[in-house]
Amino acid sequence: MIDPSMIPALLKGLDGVTWQAAVMMGISFVLFYLAIVKDYEPLLLLPIGAGCLLANLPLSPLMDEHGMLTILYRFGIENELYPLLIFVGIGALTDFGPLLENPKFVLLGAAGQFGIFLTLLLALLLGFTEKEAASIGIIGAIDGPTSIYVSGILAPHMLGPITVAAYSYMSLVPIIMPPVIYALTTKEERAIRMPYSQRRISRRTRIMFPIIVTVMVGTLVPFATPLIGMLMLGNLMKESGAVERLTKASSNEIANMVTLFLGLAIGSTMGGEKFLQTQTLFILILGLLAFGLDCAAGVFFAKILNWVTGGKVNPIIGAAGISAFPMAARVCQRLAQKENFDNFLLMHAMGANAAGQVASVVAGGVVLALMGAG
Amino acid sequence: MRRYTLNISDREFVVDVQEIDADHFEVVVGGESYQVRLAGDEALTGAVIAPAPASTATNTAAAVPRKVAASPRSAPAVSVSPPAAKKPAGGGKGTQTAPMPGVLLEVNVKPGDTVTRGQQVAILDAMKMHNVIGASQAGTVAEVFVAAGQSVDHDTPLLKYGE
Repeated sequence: MIDPSMIPALLKGLDGVTWQAAVMMGISFVLFYLAIVKDYEPLLLLPIGAGCLLANLPLSPLMDEHGMLTILYRFGIENELYPLLIFVGIGALTDFGPLLENPKFVLLGAAGQFGIFLTLLLALLLGFTEKEAASIGIIGAIDGPTSIYVSGILAPHMLGPITVAAYSYMSLVPIIMPPVIYALTTKEERAIRMPYSQRRISRRTRIMFPIIVTVMVGTLVPFATPLIGMLMLGNLMKESGAVERLTKASSNEIANMVTLFLGLAIGSTMGGEKFLQTQTLFILILGLLAFGLDCAAGVFFAKILNWVTGGKVNPIIGAAGISAFPMAARVCQRLAQKENFDNFLLMHAMGANAAGQVASVVAGGVVLALMGAG
Repeated sequence: MRRYTLNISDREFVVDVQEIDADHFEVVVGGESYQVRLAGDEALTGAVIAPAPASTATNTAAAVPRKVAASPRSAPAVSVSPPAAKKPAGGGKGTQTAPMPGVLLEVNVKPGDTVTRGQQVAILDAMKMHNVIGASQAGTVAEVFVAAGQSVDHDTPLLKYGE
């Protein structure tokens, strides 16, 4: 019945296991663990883990020229489609109301991007090329889609590690941010109360905001137009209330579908030989550093605001000037509540966070312009 | 600003209280202005005021405002502002209001319940975050104005504390 010469052919899979692939499969299990047991960004880490596992199984047909993972990658990562579609959904979910109530927090969003440029310089010192260094720095904004967008243009060969770093750190916001905040603030500063300040924002303002921002940013930083345009399109749909079906589809069905595709495609870039390099380790460390520096810059800037306003700004909210919306703001609220159970600065933190969302996109555009991408 | 007209031992005091911060007030009594910081605020359930009034509210100002803080009056629920709700000391009446707009997911107390300061009384969903609302004072819940599922605005009265 069985021809003995068939046996090697049947065991070809076992033969194809390399140590790198085995390590990567281990990493995919860690991602599953983080997603399922620890509940860290499960929507992203689970598909990324699956993509990583499926890509590293020996001789995976999914990775063939016409394999599903290859097609998903070409369909939406290579040409930047996924991050832009995700941005429509993010725009439809982001409430810029708290920012419009407190426009001064735009400054915190801007301050939250300093780390990007510091990290860029450090990466240059470590021997990365300019374009690679810029892609690594963007991790600090903790903005997954912008990271994918920028590195997809500047350093496509580093897309895997950069995306994994950006999304992992996004999920680790509740763990990474508090120590940075604690290290830079005193108990008294963290106890500063910021009562809710009521200011009604008219519907007209809410509708005008995305249009004005798109025109302004698009004119000043043309490289940011795709990202800001999609973000603000989503927001315009939401605030206008005119296309509820499209708003819902963008923030639910389309965002969910694209998240699945994006996760699988990114996971598939984590091939053992490419991923397991010291360079990846550097990228992860520098990305973490960029994140920490962004938080620190935000907190410092909030301290300055606090000093200027005579003690009315709780420095905690400076850390919300990064992109991870709304997680960063929630972490700030939690820390503030730890000092004073009745201190609700959530809305202020949300304002800074929404500003960080816009600022990270602008920073991405500025970096692309500086690197002369085109 | 709130104006309290108090009659203490047959002497009339007009006290104007302006909230600067949640725990920081400007208080004007008899033409003198005081910066008052509320450092503590607890209800001593069951305790009775002895002849020498034990003031539990700590004031940095002199004697007159201290008496003021020890005998707060709570106005009708609707117009009460959060500092007024926080001020009551020594088991006085007070209303707790919503700190920001949102939807109440849970209301964990009912009239008659005894709570300690900071104990969870409700969960407010604001910006899709679950915020634990702690009791603004210790005491007994006299009235609950809201129910789970209700959306509230900033300053909507949530509960009233009583003796």
